[in-house]
Amino acid sequence: MKPLMAQVRCELLRTFRDRRFFILTLGMPVIFYLIFINQEGSALKIAGTYWGQYFMVSMAAFGVVGSSVNTLGVRLAAERQSGWVRWLRTTPLSSLGYAVAKTLTQLSLSLLIILVIFLVAGLLEHVSMPMTRWLEVFLWLWLGSLPFAALGVLIGLAGNAAQILGTLAYLVFSMLGGLWTPIQALPPVMQDIAKWMPTYHLARPAWELLAGHAIAFTDVLVLLAWAIVFLGLAAFITRRIDSRV
Amino acid sequence: MHKVVEMNAVTKSYGMRKAVNEMDLFIEKGSAVALLGPNGAGKTTSIAMMLGLVRPTSGRVQLFSEDPSKAKVHEKIGVMLQDVSVPDRLTVRETIDLFRGFYPRSLSTQKLLQISGLTEDAQTMASKLSGGKTRRLQFALALAGDPEVLFLDEPTVGMDVASRRTFWEELRSFIAAGKTMLLTTHDLQEADLLADRVVVMQLGRIIADDAPEKIKMQFGGRQVSFVAGDAVLLEELSKLPEVTQLQTVGRKVTLYTQDSDALVKRLILAQWDIRDIQISGGGLEDAFVRLTEQDAHKEVLR
Repeated sequence: MKPLMAQVRCELLRTFRDRRFFILTLGMPVIFYLIFINQEGSALKIAGTYWGQYFMVSMAAFGVVGSSVNTLGVRLAAERQSGWVRWLRTTPLSSLGYAVAKTLTQLSLSLLIILVIFLVAGLLEHVSMPMTRWLEVFLWLWLGSLPFAALGVLIGLAGNAAQILGTLAYLVFSMLGGLWTPIQALPPVMQDIAKWMPTYHLARPAWELLAGHAIAFTDVLVLLAWAIVFLGLAAFITRRIDSRV
Repeated sequence: MHKVVEMNAVTKSYGMRKAVNEMDLFIEKGSAVALLGPNGAGKTTSIAMMLGLVRPTSGRVQLFSEDPSKAKVHEKIGVMLQDVSVPDRLTVRETIDLFRGFYPRSLSTQKLLQISGLTEDAQTMASKLSGGKTRRLQFALALAGDPEVLFLDEPTVGMDVASRRTFWEELRSFIAAGKTMLLTTHDLQEADLLADRVVVMQLGRIIADDAPEKIKMQFGGRQVSFVAGDAVLLEELSKLPEVTQLQTVGRKVTLYTQDSDALVKRLILAQWDIRDIQISGGGLEDAFVRLTEQDAHKEVLR
């Protein structure tokens, strides 16, 4: 337990010293939110709820995906390349401990990002809903961010290409999954594509909760399937890399 | 005696190449071993297998009689690897405290800063340190868990002369406390200075394993070289009792011997037609060069 907490503490410390995290990962969704809410007005009705709430979910999802892919993925790649991961493997911190520490760090960052977006929406745009609904939406987005940590792990194996690949995955998944523009406003082809995106299935249950509906089982299933694909690929690539070392 | 490392018939292949070939090595508690050899001899691969970073293709490696990849066995060791940088956005002190947090028992931050001579740099970002200071920080991290055994892979590469000297002093007091050390190096002075046992590797095999003085004696010898006149028959030179090996380049002859005094006396008394006599060698450096050259030669002939 002690090695784990030492690791988590340092991971968070490093993130809070990273200007990139605040400007891009946390700043971008907040700024996008404020811009697009002011353009359309937060009272606009959409999918059984209001634009102010709908887009709050979109941007919270955008934020957690960004932190998984950029913060986790890019840092993992750097730590692998610098030999740091190799060194840690000679300490009493087990590989499992390292993975758990990374996951706990990621969950803490997701918590922060969702909280900030919710606060901005609640305080600046006067989004209001019952406490239980805030909590439900929050919990779903928080736990739903975990499959994207698996994507971060996969991108962390890309070495020098991690930065580019991470940014690409971040933007493409967010755009195609309907986090920037609601899919109702997209052409039918794009709507069909969106329905296969993990990002769409991260946001959709939260949108459904806003409209007073229950979480659909298929959303959970699709997210899980993506998580398995990400982790399976990561395990496969890791094995190939390690057999070369 | 208590074994720290046990390697039994260990082979590690990468494709067709055998980085380590049927290697047996046992390291006892309290010994200071230098693993010596040229680049590509298999030193780093061996150490990586002892630490559980690399799995052997065949054979068995044990650390404290256990699987070296288990996190638990790492509580008693400290490690310095090659080509490793420290993480960014952490100060020297925070990096040291991170490592201290990994071990059940640890040296104080103060003591570690002092050993590595980084007390004044405690608040510096670790990734901003110079190459030499980074190496010293890595040494502090290796000592963080108050280890019984140190594994050091080319530890003094990138250190300046002064840091190297204090580093050696620290290591000597570590060894004097009855602890165990294994280091790889191509620096023979380092091996001679620190180790009580030198294991020489070449092409994935151990070609010599003895106390530094014995290695020097056994393989060092001396060389007597001269230019031989036309009448001198080289085969007869090689039959002289003191001569262990003979090398010629044109008429220039080099004789290898354990007893240069007796050889030179014989050559003079028997009035061999030779001139420009030179005697050289005797250091561990020569022993090492000769050992590895000899073995490379055998490999070519095979």
